Amino acid sequence: MSTPLHQDPRLDQAASTDESLLAAHDKLLGKQPDEKGSYKLPPLHLLFFFSGLIFFAGTYLNRYSGMFDPRVYNENTLPPRGEIVVAKLDPLVLGKKQYEAICITCHQANGLGLPGAFPPLAGSEWVAGSDDRLIRLVVYGMTGPMTVKGVLYNGAQMPTIGKVANSQYNLSDDKVAAVLTYIRHEWGNTGAPITTDQVAAVRSKEGDRKPYIEAELLKLN
Amino acid sequence: MSSTSTHAEVTAADTAGRWPVLLLLASGLGWLVISGIFALIASIQLHSPTFMSACEWFTHGRVGALAETSFVYGWAANAGLGIALWVLGRLGGATLRAQNWAMTGTLFWNLGITLGLGGIATGEATSFAFLELPRYVQPLLVVAYIAIGISGILAWSGRRTEGTYASHWYAVAALFLFPWLLIAAQTMLLWSPVRGVLQPIIDGWYVQSVFSLWLAPLALAGAYYVVPKITGQALPSYEFAPLAFWTLLFVGTMTGGRHLIGGPVPAWIPTLANAACWMVLFHFIVVALNLRGALTGGGTSLTFISFGLLAYFAGAVLDAVTSFRGVALVTQFTYFTTAQQQLALYGGISMLLLGSIYFAVPRLTGRPWNSGSFVRGHRVLAMVGIFLLVGSLAVAGWIQGTELSNAKTTFGEIAGRTRPWLLAVTVAQGFLLVGNILILVNFLRSVSDVWCAGAVSQVGAFRQPTTMEVHAS
Repeated sequence: MSTPLHQDPRLDQAASTDESLLAAHDKLLGKQPDEKGSYKLPPLHLLFFFSGLIFFAGTYLNRYSGMFDPRVYNENTLPPRGEIVVAKLDPLVLGKKQYEAICITCHQANGLGLPGAFPPLAGSEWVAGSDDRLIRLVVYGMTGPMTVKGVLYNGAQMPTIGKVANSQYNLSDDKVAAVLTYIRHEWGNTGAPITTDQVAAVRSKEGDRKPYIEAELLKLN
Repeated sequence: MSSTSTHAEVTAADTAGRWPVLLLLASGLGWLVISGIFALIASIQLHSPTFMSACEWFTHGRVGALAETSFVYGWAANAGLGIALWVLGRLGGATLRAQNWAMTGTLFWNLGITLGLGGIATGEATSFAFLELPRYVQPLLVVAYIAIGISGILAWSGRRTEGTYASHWYAVAALFLFPWLLIAAQTMLLWSPVRGVLQPIIDGWYVQSVFSLWLAPLALAGAYYVVPKITGQALPSYEFAPLAFWTLLFVGTMTGGRHLIGGPVPAWIPTLANAACWMVLFHFIVVALNLRGALTGGGTSLTFISFGLLAYFAGAVLDAVTSFRGVALVTQFTYFTTAQQQLALYGGISMLLLGSIYFAVPRLTGRPWNSGSFVRGHRVLAMVGIFLLVGSLAVAGWIQGTELSNAKTTFGEIAGRTRPWLLAVTVAQGFLLVGNILILVNFLRSVSDVWCAGAVSQVGAFRQPTTMEVHAS
């Protein structure tokens, strides 16, 4: 059969047996030295090429991976470095926000409260008076009758605002300080600002306790 | 003459184990034709959107999913498994074992695909590429696949020779890895879905792994066996074949993130994929060097394998080039990515598998293919069809991509400018469909000759192979 049989499209002839195919390739992979006792070197150009690919891929990965930071969505930028700087909020802005979320329900936007039900903040001697007293009043709340600007308020109860046990609002110290600074600044009030440290000091001194009554607060200066 | 009988090309060991392989190949070729019909309908709808749109079952989204699913899980899976089982059996040197497992598994696999396609047609498809099959058939597929795979694993573990060959590695890797892929993907996406942006990341990984860890190894298992069988030469640069294999396994699946370039994922995921796209080129270069003997040989199998090899290689280079973000800016999410997928799946995987099928079937039936003109016709139609399909999609995608970045162009104008190329895609799908019908008919006639006329083999037609020698290179 000298005619090239692969011209018949219906049948491709095999040139080698399965056994010899396996044996020949096994020998190529085998680590035995050949007859001359020398090992066969793999083609160097392929090794060079493979190294080149590794180098390129490594460089690319280093350049565009954003240091594998999950926050980086643009491959040309790096993750934010150094300490994370939190913008300092103006306590009046923060305080106004807290006031409008919580206090405004009773004390009203004009700070005058509701006559006969809720005491005013505008021009109140409690707001302008002792820092310690004001902080305690807001952080722990207050029950029982209370006199503001010469008027007795009997039915209202000041809720517990600060981050203490049984608090209704759990406001952090800086938010309490901000809202106190805010009410001392609005409606013609002119008190000094309250700092976060002052609130924290009161909280660490008193710990968890029940709301105050008027007599307890008046003992403080 | 006992020594020649052991070296005969077609032995009793082949014919005794032929039915599981022939069943797998028949299922594969059947699904190839069915998927071609779906793909033709889907391609017509791209330029004539009202085509069959009155019928809910054949709206574009469903037909597209039907075409993709029947191609991957119907054609490529069945054909790839058939070739892998056949190659493992031949290299094992004994009759295929656990044939009943393989036959039963094949029947249930195809039952699952049929049920799943029905589910997709009635609107129960999932939203994940390559995983559109409804949730309820997926466990069946895992079990059926394992049943088929057992036969291949037994042929591998019970082989006569101690050493292994490249075809062994690729075939066994595919048999072991696919169940893992499918279980992992369906667990994380369908049964207990991960949240938000993790879903496309996992689907991107799955789509790439189906190609890199399953279909490509199955196709390469056949090609690595057929090429040296026909050329009679040991593969050049074979020392690098193990490295190429491990590169594909480790790096190939990392390239999945390239499907997400431009998507809402952390930058390192596409970047890692792009770097991997270049690293994995080593695999493709070594495979091309190993199998380059196919390019010089004539005959049907080597023509298909040469085409498949070139497309497999070109697809990898194209993937690497379009993985650069500057290029992806134009090509991503256009017909261009479809062109890349068709180049890899149709030009690469399918042509390699078809080449192996043309070599395997005469050895399974014991006689040459039934019709030579059908073989020639299929060869021409397949090659012209793939050239036209990939080329037209690529041009249409490039037009689409550049015009989409131009704020002054309306969608209507883009549709108008891509329309001629989409018409060419329909023509290409027509060529491919006719070609695939030719091989299906030819296959059925060849097999029915054996089935009906008994095992009247024409062993005389097979030339006696000789012993392969290792040339000093």
